[in-house]
Amino acid sequence: MIKATNISKNFGSIKILKNIDIEINTSEITVIIGPSGSGKTTLLNCLSMLNTPDKGLIQIDGTRYNFPNAHAKIRKQFKYKGSQQVGIVFQNINLIPNWTNEENITKPLLKTNLFDKSELNNLIDIFKVKSILHKLPHQCSRGEQQRIAFIRAVMLHPKYLYLDEVTSALDPELISILFNYLIYLKSKGTGIIVVTHFLLFAQNLADKIVFINQGEILEQGTKDIMINPKTSQFKKFLMSLENVIITNNNIE
Amino acid sequence: MLNTIEIIIKYREDFLIGLSVTIQMTIIIWIVGVTIGSILGILGTKYSRSIGLLSKIVSFLLGGIPVLVFLYWLHYPFQTILNIQIDGFYTTILTLSILNIFLVAEQVRNAVEQFPRDYIDSAEVCGFNSNEIIRKIQFPYILRQILPAIIFIQVVMMHSTLFASLISVDELFRIASRVNSEIYKPVEVYSTLAIFFLLITLPITGFAYWLRKRYAFIK
Repeated sequence: MIKATNISKNFGSIKILKNIDIEINTSEITVIIGPSGSGKTTLLNCLSMLNTPDKGLIQIDGTRYNFPNAHAKIRKQFKYKGSQQVGIVFQNINLIPNWTNEENITKPLLKTNLFDKSELNNLIDIFKVKSILHKLPHQCSRGEQQRIAFIRAVMLHPKYLYLDEVTSALDPELISILFNYLIYLKSKGTGIIVVTHFLLFAQNLADKIVFINQGEILEQGTKDIMINPKTSQFKKFLMSLENVIITNNNIE
Repeated sequence: MLNTIEIIIKYREDFLIGLSVTIQMTIIIWIVGVTIGSILGILGTKYSRSIGLLSKIVSFLLGGIPVLVFLYWLHYPFQTILNIQIDGFYTTILTLSILNIFLVAEQVRNAVEQFPRDYIDSAEVCGFNSNEIIRKIQFPYILRQILPAIIFIQVVMMHSTLFASLISVDELFRIASRVNSEIYKPVEVYSTLAIFFLLITLPITGFAYWLRKRYAFIK
């Protein structure tokens, strides 16, 4: 379990996260939703400890990191010890630009004993990336890069997988494929945390939904919180998404 | 054209001596500049408030001084002040090596400093350690990015060796001037000189342009 207690993060004088408490469990999909600039990505980066929280406690499977006393740069959660503890698919994707897509997937595996050719081929088929493996990332669309980044992360068998806006450039068919694969990963025991604007994620997959606004978690719970939102901010957020659908219908 | 060939054949030994001096100076300037410049650039990023700042200031000052003035200053007043006498060949190497070192250091420092943080995060998340990130990701990326600029600097350094003729170094330009003073055929003589430089620098600049185009996606 990953447990964060009283996490705060400032950038300069701007408070991005305010006293966040959150738990991420294995075999569970946690979806973080909220308006743009609410601190979702910062929360994800703090939970992975890519960004160091200014204060608070993060426990990953019992190992405690107490901030600000903990070491400024903790990276052992990404190291390979049989499998990886935390894996991330970034919002900006961040494939290494001078490696081919295939190298982006395989080079991290070469230092592990995880290079399972059949698993890789299976993922290549599922996510339809065979034709772009030899290409460099800049020669591919954003959606293709997103799929490569996802395969790269999954191949390292992370115990906890963090996905930041991973569906932003995928078409409906690929989103459906991704959903099914996430359900499969969850059944294998992976704890998945998803940051998204895409409410279908929350509606279809989430075991737990976390609504964050202006750096504070205002609501968290099962899917029911979307049916009966308690705070006006969450209601407003859900209404705004409804308005987008209504507006689109009106255009038609 | 025939005259040019005749001049090359007649004065081939002189031209070969000049070419040899030019190439010797160029190679030393390249090796010293690229090696020490790269080290200085890397140290400049690591110790940005000491070495980095000093390197920036020196580069800024050197950038404002014409090469010829710097060469003359090191050849005349500097040696007078220290009461030493250094051959023009070595003074030229010293002058251009100093320039090359700081120009290369600036390129390296900028490239290392501007290396996208996102790629380091990405590599760390993939389990790479610091050494692996430098060796497998940063170094090849930065090399591809800065190589064209460094090659162009080296071509400029080679061209700048012509200034050595003004402090009596028998390099290619001085030989050409001497041949011209004997036969007074400036078009043919200086065309010969241009051909020598084109033959050497065209493949190098062509390679730099190719690299720049090939790796234009690396921003």
